[in-house]
Amino acid sequence: MRVSPKITQVLAVTVLGAATILTVAVLVFVIVFVLVKGLPWVDWEFLFSYPQDMGKSGGIFPTLVGTFLLPLLAIAIALPLGLGTAVYLTEYTRETQLTRTLRFGTDCLAGIPSIIFGLFGFIFFVVKLKMGWCLLSGALTLAIMVLPTIIRTSEEAIRAVPNAYREVSFSLGATRWETVLKVVLPNALPGIVTGVILSIGRSIGETAAVIFTAGSSLRMPMSVFDSVRTMSVHFYILAREGISNENAYATAAVLIISVLLVNLAAYTMMHRFIAKRSK
Amino acid sequence: MSAPSDIKIATKDFRVFQGKEAALRGITLDIPAHRILGIIGPSGSGKTTFLRALNRLNDLVPDTHVEGQMLLDGRDIYHPAFDVVSLRKRVGMLFALPVALPMSIYENVVYGPRLSGIRKRARLDEIVESSLKAAFLWDEVKDRLPRSALQLSGGQQQRLCLARVLAMEELEVILLDEPCSGLDPISTAKIEDALTVLKERYTIILVTNNTKQAARVADDTAFFLMGEMVEYGLTEKIFTVPDDKRTNEYVTGRFG
Repeated sequence: MRVSPKITQVLAVTVLGAATILTVAVLVFVIVFVLVKGLPWVDWEFLFSYPQDMGKSGGIFPTLVGTFLLPLLAIAIALPLGLGTAVYLTEYTRETQLTRTLRFGTDCLAGIPSIIFGLFGFIFFVVKLKMGWCLLSGALTLAIMVLPTIIRTSEEAIRAVPNAYREVSFSLGATRWETVLKVVLPNALPGIVTGVILSIGRSIGETAAVIFTAGSSLRMPMSVFDSVRTMSVHFYILAREGISNENAYATAAVLIISVLLVNLAAYTMMHRFIAKRSK
Repeated sequence: MSAPSDIKIATKDFRVFQGKEAALRGITLDIPAHRILGIIGPSGSGKTTFLRALNRLNDLVPDTHVEGQMLLDGRDIYHPAFDVVSLRKRVGMLFALPVALPMSIYENVVYGPRLSGIRKRARLDEIVESSLKAAFLWDEVKDRLPRSALQLSGGQQQRLCLARVLAMEELEVILLDEPCSGLDPISTAKIEDALTVLKERYTIILVTNNTKQAARVADDTAFFLMGEMVEYGLTEKIFTVPDDKRTNEYVTGRFG
């Protein structure tokens, strides 16, 4: 039996539309739910005061600081390494079995559950290197975790830079390195920034790998060798230990808003950069 | 033709292989200084390969290798000791499609000079003005140098590319790969006018699909066919009384 094209068309639009609406609805529901339950408890006092009584009362100031410091440090470590790898793979080597194997390896790494990275970080950085639970152990672990994302997104972005730009640069007497610096990277920047944003998002939201490596101290970190607690970890502990539901939701609300702000800031910066170059 | 001392570039049985296939099958050619050499021939005749070999851009294509000699001022540019970066500063290239880099007009022009280590703003300003004037573009862009080069028209972009090549102080030879294929007649005329002035300072090699253009601007013309050079001589001779029957058929438009 043949279904008329008209009916399949209507069917397709309905099914695809419903899928989209459902997806968006779930997302919106989660965000609204958290914000509604959490925002009433958020005020300046909550943001900028120290937690009291294990977080039962008081604010979240040290975890707010930790949430920004940890991903920042992780990206500062992962970006040079990941970008360097991407540049090497795309600009300095020809496509061989080795580069294909490396690429396959990074893809596999991207799919490993974060707790495995956490366990590795705990055994290697915290115990073996005697660094203890600290900002640096956590940042190194998160850096390893987001490296595959940074490498792959940077690689795609670099590949998308027209070859004609490279030829022009070479024909004007540039070396490969000068071409990378002056032509390839500036034009790959939007893609690279996308990878960084994804990585920051993953780092901010990460809980398992962070508890294992950065610890959960509620004190304000004074150096990279101090233990920190991020908002994700704070939320997890508050909710799991049943310390304070209100403060758990309030922390989650702040976390969601922070992620939105970070993304917004990164996109704005990127668009400014692009607009400046094409004016 | 010219005295041997005036030979800028000489090739001896020069061959280019892409994989196992020969793209150029032994080109022997003396190119005199301060003249315009037009290279004509149908698609796939190897004329672009020859041009790109002159500043070693073929190096960037995997599985390419060359045999024979290509001498610039008597020195083999494919000798391992020959510095390819300095070669490309002496031998500039203008591509078929104008590729303005996505940066300002000013930065496009000073791309080469900056690489050569020129930092002084006044000196760079000077280079920008003189190069853009030589490329007949100065009057059109002098008020918007900090603006993006991507906003220029195709014809203006190609002249910007020419200015960018001329901005290199070490420049001796200009290679042009069908520089007017995407341009309107007026822009084409501007490029051609620039070339006839520029040959007093530089040696110019122009690859073109447009035989009329070769007839208009080239002093000498070489006819390439299937990786070989069929004939080479004064442009007037090639276009009026060529020695080879195939040359005659090509320039009169009977094939190719």
